[in-house]
Amino acid sequence: MADPLHQFQIQKVAELPSFTVGGVVVDMSITNSVLAMMIAVSVTLLFFTLTTARASIIPGRGQVMAEGLFTLINDMTESIIGHDGKKFMPYVFTLFLFILSCNLLGMFTYFTATSQVAVTVTLAAMTILVVIGVGVLSHGLGFFKMFVPSGVPWYILIILVPIEVIAFVMRPVTLTLRLFGNMLGGHIVLKVFAGFIVTTAAMGIGGWAIGLASLSTMVALTTLEFLVAYLQALVFAVLTCVYLGDVVNIGHH
Amino acid sequence: MTAVPTSAAPNTEGDVATSAPDTAPATTTVVSLVPGHGDDTHAAGGQTGAHGAGDHTTGTVGTTEHAKDHGSGGLPQLQTEHWAGQIVWLLIIFTVFYTLMATVFTPRLRKVISNRGSTIAEDLANARANRDEAEAQAKDAAAETAAAHTASRKLAAEALARSNAEIAAQTAAEDTKLNARLSEAEARIRAARDTAMAHVTEIAGETAQVLVEKLTGKPATAAALKSAFGKVS
Repeated sequence: MADPLHQFQIQKVAELPSFTVGGVVVDMSITNSVLAMMIAVSVTLLFFTLTTARASIIPGRGQVMAEGLFTLINDMTESIIGHDGKKFMPYVFTLFLFILSCNLLGMFTYFTATSQVAVTVTLAAMTILVVIGVGVLSHGLGFFKMFVPSGVPWYILIILVPIEVIAFVMRPVTLTLRLFGNMLGGHIVLKVFAGFIVTTAAMGIGGWAIGLASLSTMVALTTLEFLVAYLQALVFAVLTCVYLGDVVNIGHH
Repeated sequence: MTAVPTSAAPNTEGDVATSAPDTAPATTTVVSLVPGHGDDTHAAGGQTGAHGAGDHTTGTVGTTEHAKDHGSGGLPQLQTEHWAGQIVWLLIIFTVFYTLMATVFTPRLRKVISNRGSTIAEDLANARANRDEAEAQAKDAAAETAAAHTASRKLAAEALARSNAEIAAQTAAEDTKLNARLSEAEARIRAARDTAMAHVTEIAGETAQVLVEKLTGKPATAAALKSAFGKVS
């Protein structure tokens, strides 16, 4: 059976020079992961260019899809973050579309960039830096009030504040691992069942039955993976909104 | 790290799962497209040993150690030599994507949606105004009809009253005329009767004189007739 992990192997597509920053070698070669991100983003940009180029009051099919995605994130940012949600809408929208397009591209057998820890950890770090930046910029040192719930006696705060801090620190970690784990697990399972079909089909009539069962499972899992691809993008976007809402509305709750 | 060369050395079997992380530090010199195959593994192992024996100054080795702690199954994602490139590319791609979304597509979509909203609101307002106007007109028309109704009813009543009055006046005039003629006739009749009654005495006197003359042979005196009338009447 083919190695189910081979699909995650980084391979160079085009060699580019590398440089070193602070002892870290940054190889700028275009790998399959980078190419997948480029394709996903290009396709998304092309989609939005085509659908909104001649946007009209009475929308066409493409425009309905583009507006549907826009409205989904726009309503979400406004309902979760509140009045200031409009400011963060482009970031959340970009994040959502980036993850969604990478996930969906992964469903079309090329490469799933979001199954790379390097990618998910960067997205999570970016998000938590935006959250901290927004918190510090809008509240200054008041940002740290976030870890001190109001109206709680001091002897409970001794326990509560560390818990709040740990919970906050764990946020980017969970963001990273949730997306990475879902993509990794889904694609490994797909690969394993696909491998079963080939292996068992070579065993004769008895194997065909198992192969057929694997095939139907594979079809079902593929639909499930499409759901997961969308859902993980949405979950990432929702959590980004929740975290942003937490810092924007410090002292309001 | 000291255990790395010894663990990498017996790996000639080519076990992909365990040898994958061992090849991880081979970034600068050995570029292995498919790590964990035969000679590459040896070379990589040697390289790792060289790095491992030396001081851990380079960041790559440091992060590799970190990845090794997690990398129980040798996931390709944990080979950190590909991380830096991916992260830098991701930041570039994401920045371009974000810039385009924030400056072009989000405002465009927001504008279309708000335009649609205002168009719908405008149309609704127009429709509402039209409806109100129509309702007002209908109300006016109803009021006019009602006014016309009352006017015509008044007119009819007036006409009726006028004709009634005329009829009454005419009747009264006719009545007076008739009454006059009636009283005139009555007066005439009364006069005729009186005349007739006056003639009755005369006729009776003449008749009585004739009768008396025929019976007695001589005409009766007026005094005798008068006394006789007095006895009769």
